[in-house]
Amino acid sequence: MSFQLFIFYVFAIIMVFAAARVITVRNPVYAAMFLVLTFFTAAAIWMLLEAEFLAVTLVLVYVGAVMVLFLFVVMMLDINVEPLREGFVKYLPVGILVGSIMFLEMVFLLTQRYFPSENFPAPAAKPANYSNTEELGRLLYSDYLFHFEVAALILMVAIVAAIALTMRRRSDTKYQRPGLQVQVKKEDRLRVVSMDTESKS
Amino acid sequence: MLANYFPVLLFIAIGIVMGVVLLTAGRVIGPSRPNKEKNSPYECGFEAFEDARMKFDVRYYLVAILFIIFDLEITFLVPWAVVLDTISPAAYIAMALFLFILVIGFIYEWKKGALEWE
Repeated sequence: MSFQLFIFYVFAIIMVFAAARVITVRNPVYAAMFLVLTFFTAAAIWMLLEAEFLAVTLVLVYVGAVMVLFLFVVMMLDINVEPLREGFVKYLPVGILVGSIMFLEMVFLLTQRYFPSENFPAPAAKPANYSNTEELGRLLYSDYLFHFEVAALILMVAIVAAIALTMRRRSDTKYQRPGLQVQVKKEDRLRVVSMDTESKS
Repeated sequence: MLANYFPVLLFIAIGIVMGVVLLTAGRVIGPSRPNKEKNSPYECGFEAFEDARMKFDVRYYLVAILFIIFDLEITFLVPWAVVLDTISPAAYIAMALFLFILVIGFIYEWKKGALEWE
């Protein structure tokens, strides 16, 4: 067994274990942490496939940013575990359907009956100074410029949607407006009323 | 190519070893005499008022999602920066347009007050 294969098995075992723990552990925060571990080992396996840019991106974006969001969501939900388990029977048919479709897809891929691996030969090994990122950049910024701009638009739509969904003005906060305070005039604060003198009666 | 990343593997291994060794050394060598009072949650001396699992303000979520969006820009900027000396002027302008569109989004969130905490 080569060293590379050994490393693959180490990371694959950790990944399968962590992925199983994501759905079996009781505390949702621990589940999110196991998901971090799963992403991390997945990045290592991508690295073994020589997809270095994807591996680094997975760590940077998923582990660094998306999981922070997951943790916020997990903490924002009022986590009392009992109510979360209530809908188990109700959602069971949908879960079984989705699960069996995914299982069938994996069977088709792994048994090699419909997608034999001879049709998809492994790419030739690259020299040590080969840069994945450079190839990606060269392709993305020549043939796929339009798709790249579409990605910018999608990101902007995401910004606008996130703001529209979650922005709430709190009505109970009080704060000063220094600009208006400076501009205030004497007449705004004090009003001199001319009136007849009062007489004691 | 993978040989370039061998130091990273070493870092991971050393990191795991350090973490495991230090924690187990503390567990094994250090004295451990727990009692009920020591294990109870401490909140400035009085009994804890409420459960630690309270709801977070939705605004944390907004900040996090805006962070993700601007984090994703990196994945486009890095390949662009790496091949900057070989790509066409059109690609350069395309990146300027990309950033311009995102700056519009940024101005929107700024003007909308999404970055204000109140």
